[in-house]
Amino acid sequence: MPAGIGVYLCRCDGRINEVIDLEGLRSKIGKWKGVSEVRVLTALCRPGDLASVVEDIQAGRVDRLVIGACSPAVHQESFERLAAEDLAPNLLERCNLREQCALAHPGDPAGATTQALALLKMGVARLKAAPGPVIPETTTGNRRVLVVGGGIAGLAAAGNLARGGVEVTVVEKRAWLGGRVAQLHRYYPRGCAPRCGLAVQTERLLQSGRVSVHTLAEVAGVHGTAGNFQVNIRQHPRFIGQECTGCGRCEAVCPVVTDTSRGLPAWRKAVLSPAGSVYPLAYAIDRQACLGPACGKCAAVCPAGAVCMEEDEQSFSVNVSAIVMATGSALYDVAAVENYGYGRLPGVLTSMDLEFLASPDGPTGGRLMRPADERPARRVAFIQCAGSRDCKHLPYCSAICCAVTLKQTRYVRDAYPDAEVTVFYMDMRVTGHLEEMYRQAMDEGTVFIRGNPLAVVRAADTGDLEVVAADSLSGRRVLVGADLVVLAAGLVPEHIADSYHLAKDGAGFVPGHLPCSPTEGRRAGIFAAGTAQGPMDASGAVQSGLAASAECLALLDQGPALVLPLLDKTKCDGCKRCVEECPYGAITLDRDGYPLPSATGCRSCGICQGGCPLRCIHLPGFSTREMAARLAAPAVGGEEVRVIAFLCGNDAYRALDGTVYPVNVLPVAVSCAGAVNMGWINDALLNGWDGVIVAGCRADECHYGHGPDLADSRVAKLQETLRSVMVEAERVQVLTCGIGEGGSLAAALENFVRRLTEMGPSPFKEC
Amino acid sequence: MPPRVNTEKCDGCRAQDETLCVLICPGDLMALDTGSGKAYCRSERDCWDCMSCVKSCPHGAIETRLPYQLGYYPAKLIPLVGSNKISWTVVDIHGKVERFTFKTRNDD
Repeated sequence: MPAGIGVYLCRCDGRINEVIDLEGLRSKIGKWKGVSEVRVLTALCRPGDLASVVEDIQAGRVDRLVIGACSPAVHQESFERLAAEDLAPNLLERCNLREQCALAHPGDPAGATTQALALLKMGVARLKAAPGPVIPETTTGNRRVLVVGGGIAGLAAAGNLARGGVEVTVVEKRAWLGGRVAQLHRYYPRGCAPRCGLAVQTERLLQSGRVSVHTLAEVAGVHGTAGNFQVNIRQHPRFIGQECTGCGRCEAVCPVVTDTSRGLPAWRKAVLSPAGSVYPLAYAIDRQACLGPACGKCAAVCPAGAVCMEEDEQSFSVNVSAIVMATGSALYDVAAVENYGYGRLPGVLTSMDLEFLASPDGPTGGRLMRPADERPARRVAFIQCAGSRDCKHLPYCSAICCAVTLKQTRYVRDAYPDAEVTVFYMDMRVTGHLEEMYRQAMDEGTVFIRGNPLAVVRAADTGDLEVVAADSLSGRRVLVGADLVVLAAGLVPEHIADSYHLAKDGAGFVPGHLPCSPTEGRRAGIFAAGTAQGPMDASGAVQSGLAASAECLALLDQGPALVLPLLDKTKCDGCKRCVEECPYGAITLDRDGYPLPSATGCRSCGICQGGCPLRCIHLPGFSTREMAARLAAPAVGGEEVRVIAFLCGNDAYRALDGTVYPVNVLPVAVSCAGAVNMGWINDALLNGWDGVIVAGCRADECHYGHGPDLADSRVAKLQETLRSVMVEAERVQVLTCGIGEGGSLAAALENFVRRLTEMGPSPFKEC
Repeated sequence: MPPRVNTEKCDGCRAQDETLCVLICPGDLMALDTGSGKAYCRSERDCWDCMSCVKSCPHGAIETRLPYQLGYYPAKLIPLVGSNKISWTVVDIHGKVERFTFKTRNDD
């Protein structure tokens, strides 16, 4: 091997060489085998010094680099660019001689120099053991995305993706697009009709020519991972073909009438009308209710011959790179709040019922009246938090109900300007400019009573509805008569099958990993949008749909290179632990049964590397040989306590920068606490290290989800093993640390070294 | 003597069809109990103490107990496996601890 390792030590304008004897190090390192260049430079971050490094590489004097300078948390882009242009990134090793060495041991230059030598020795040893350059991959998936759910969030996502040049398949389980928003009479903030916005969204979609829409279709199974999903879709029959012109004659003659009354009287025929929806303009038959070919009245009267009773369920598959889950939500079944009498007392409605009542397509043609006796609804009471913020029903706040009610008071005022409108609330939560709706409602005479009502009853004498409540501000009991009582119920998510392996919260929503990755459900390539994520209004749903589409576009156009784990197939025995433990489900199996990390789904967290019992899957730079060489390199033995500390690059490693900690501790940066393999710890102990630290983020702060939990359980088991081999289990510890908590991390290391000094040298030191 | 699986440490290799101990046992004596999700030895008489299962378990959940003729309780023989070293901790019946560390040629 003609070229060799180049070691470049930076004075950092004096900050480093004030404490560390760089010249002394240079003369020692110059004698090491495999090192072909060792130089001390003034400031490696500046173009002049950096250029001389590049020159050495280009002249062929060095082909692997050790940079002994500032922390990898600083100037990483300059060195990465260096790596990208002239060197593969796995052949660049950064030794932190400033923040974690010179600055960390201010009164101890000799100790700092010894530590620096050890760090450099480990770096050089690691590079010597490294295989050749690992060139990062650039990749693109196929440009196809599946959007599950044709509501407003799904339509926004699909439209945006289609405009971005992506082929989109939209799958909607109902017979028409539009979701819940299509059922609204008006939506805020403008008070306009949703059909307009939905029409615009749908047209954008269809005009792009890149979208195929499947209504009455459901996802039957998802296989694969980001970049390569195989999705099986079940297409239910519509029984009415594309020839349908929407004339409605079939519905008129259909003899089946199903009563679907709940809060409002409602009925349905077996032929369902697209009224209210924008696409497709075609009827559909509910085969369960339909009498079948024996009746045939619809088929007889259809001028287009579109009725087809013989249609079968069909299945088909799509291959996509990413999936947007915009499956939406439903209103909580507020009949469960028995005291409010929903479904029992006529005139008690949910907010969705009121939308339907106010709509021209509704049972009264849009006139607000009590359907039972057609009495005009001049007295309307709204009950907020009906079944929400309630430990017996929904514990959470559904965010939109207050604004929805204020919007609906408009419906009442527009119909009857002198109406008596009462709103029973616990807290009015109308944020931002929507406060204007609250002010206007108050100005128009709506009465707001702060008290969650006890019950809705029917007065024995008049048969009127009455709301029984206590006004918490005046302390008095209140009885309000009403023609209609509207319950502002909360939202619950539509069920998402467990087979998607999405991270759901206690209520079944997919809130994402806030705040950094709001649409991510901890499954690579699947992004949640709309109310599937949590209660939100139509504006929020559109925004979240656009966010999900942006995530998809980023995934499809992975420009910057990726660091994928490498697999040694000669060692792998197919135990599939990496597949199971990957927090993103980004590893699938190839044809021969070996793990295949997805280039579009992998986040380089290294958790697969941490769990592999045979240490055959690892991120570049962390192979068994490289780590073993690193651990065997410095002189460990003799009186001094020596600790190796694996610190997660996100929090713990950065926290340690700039603190004062014992010289006996040699830090190694890893991608996550979950990326630390127990085999490394065994190697460390067998090589005579007195103690091992694994430091990472706290369990609920880990960017990769369960890294710290895995580190904890793996180390706990290792400690058991240590006890059985008569070694003190305390020699291996897991620490947690936030990015600003370097002080307590340093103190914990201090403690650890003291404890190890008391315990005495590692029993493996004598072997 | 039969391998004893510590059910608290064993995680059934994440419930895959063949756990590591099952894969490596030369006598095909280990099995995964699908009910509990833990490994166990299905034919203890036939075990000849090669200790391959002990060395392959990623959590160190298996221990083979020494035959009484070799070393009665509390005698133990436990390996700690590194990438190119293995250390055997031997505890005799008097509780005396000795360690024997050897280089292996397991890394490439």
